[in-house]
Amino acid sequence: MLDTLTEVETPEGIALRLRSAGVLPRAAAWAVDFAVRLAVVWVLSILFAVLGEAGLGLYLISLFAVFWLYPVLFEVLRDGQTIGKKAMGLRVVNGNGTPVTWIASIVRNLMRTVDMMPMLYGFGFVAGLIDPRGRRLGDMVAGTLVIHVEKSQRHTSAPEVPVVHPPVLLDPDERAAIVAYAERAQQLTPERQQELAGILHRLTGSQCAAAVQRLFGMASALLGRR
Amino acid sequence: MKQDEFIKRHQPEWHSLAAWLDARGRPKARERRLDAAGVPSDLEFPPLYRRVCQHLALAERRGYSNLLVEMLQDLVHRGHLVLYRPPPPRWLTIVKFFSVDFPRLVRSQRRAMTVSALLFFVPLLLMIGLLQWRPELAHALFDVADLSKFESMYDPANSEMRLGRESGSDLQMFGYYILNNVSIGFRTFASGLLFCVGSIIVLVSNGVIIGGVAGHLTAIGYGEPFWRFVVGHSAPELLAIVIAGGAGLQIGFALIAPGRRTRGRALVESGIIGARLILGVFAMLVFAAFVEAFWSSIGWMPNPVKYTVGGALWLLIPAWLWRGGRGQPDAA
Repeated sequence: MLDTLTEVETPEGIALRLRSAGVLPRAAAWAVDFAVRLAVVWVLSILFAVLGEAGLGLYLISLFAVFWLYPVLFEVLRDGQTIGKKAMGLRVVNGNGTPVTWIASIVRNLMRTVDMMPMLYGFGFVAGLIDPRGRRLGDMVAGTLVIHVEKSQRHTSAPEVPVVHPPVLLDPDERAAIVAYAERAQQLTPERQQELAGILHRLTGSQCAAAVQRLFGMASALLGRR
Repeated sequence: MKQDEFIKRHQPEWHSLAAWLDARGRPKARERRLDAAGVPSDLEFPPLYRRVCQHLALAERRGYSNLLVEMLQDLVHRGHLVLYRPPPPRWLTIVKFFSVDFPRLVRSQRRAMTVSALLFFVPLLLMIGLLQWRPELAHALFDVADLSKFESMYDPANSEMRLGRESGSDLQMFGYYILNNVSIGFRTFASGLLFCVGSIIVLVSNGVIIGGVAGHLTAIGYGEPFWRFVVGHSAPELLAIVIAGGAGLQIGFALIAPGRRTRGRALVESGIIGARLILGVFAMLVFAAFVEAFWSSIGWMPNPVKYTVGGALWLLIPAWLWRGGRGQPDAA
């Protein structure tokens, strides 16, 4: 499949569609996280500097927390989103689409050690390019998936026009194509709408704007409007 | 049934599911709002969710428009995230993990643990022995600057000061040990994914270095302050590194010889085992760092006390790993 869609069957017998995220948005999310962590470490270093040697100890502990615990805590407690993932509209889920669990999040974040090798996330980058679902090595071991949260381009509802009944009996595929055309029409330029409608001139029996209107009318009929 | 009629008939249910998810679907109890008018009760959520799942199946089967199918997909995914979220961790689970599950898990990976212990302790003991016999070999291992640093840390001449460090307060060193040792433990585990090679390198090189330092200091007569310092925290620290190595090795084993599973499946299963092991390793290393920073460094403590405590830990921790969770009923 060329698509990045992963279908997961739920216990209810429904195919959930997860849109797995590729290497670039994930790298951007990591960069945002990195900046956030750097800022936190910088602020803490100033605060702890006041406390002298004891402050240095606390600073080292916080360094540990920022490096190892930050991604795990955010992923499990904030709906699978670190700050960077939230900014990029990404989310970590288990492979079956359920919210990421503690164990899975710990595995995928500890395995960063390997993904970072030999430098600059080299292994993770290559694995992400090879894997059809864009997973890095840590995701494969943890059985997790990074998906897009925000929707792809939304369909708009078909325009409300007077109903036109199709002159011939249409296949289910053809009916679906006409309805999909009407729902996508607002994302197209008028010229493109007419060009597409022109292909069906034998069905509509008209040209240009009139053909577009007739197709909209047929879509309304197929949707069951009166 | 035409799509518009389908929508008209079922839309109220979709709205009430969406309303419930908005108001009550948050994972944390305090983020959930109280029942408002028009929001179904929590008990109604599962049947409502399953009905909407059926609507989605019908809509896809009947070829309804993308708009409708995507809206239902969305609703179902949101419901799925709420219905199948993991239960919150409980305190009792944590207690049971350390008293029962963790020792059992270590024993269940007997093979990896044995290999890991051999890879670590054999070079370590070998180095200690070798440097007693040929002390000059220390220079092959460490450069002069390192050697003089080790020597100044454990010089019997200035044993009045804190043991095992050049300077720094207890809390500072605690932070240093946490950052350094726990990260080593984590890396030992994770690098096992490279067909065991990473874990093996970390285990052997740590064994050689630790054995080298111990052997060198003993050979030049600085052994007394050195062993006084390390005896307390050595048991939790060294055993934790061995377990981390074993956790990494079993991931490598799963990758090399997955048995009657696919490699992917074997990796995921070994990843779960490894993560649970590493939770225990984390606790052991934090404990070790605590002992190392606040107990091992006390210079005035008489030797018998130090060695008794260290010996007790060397008995208690293996006993915990060996006997812990035996005779307990299985979790399920």
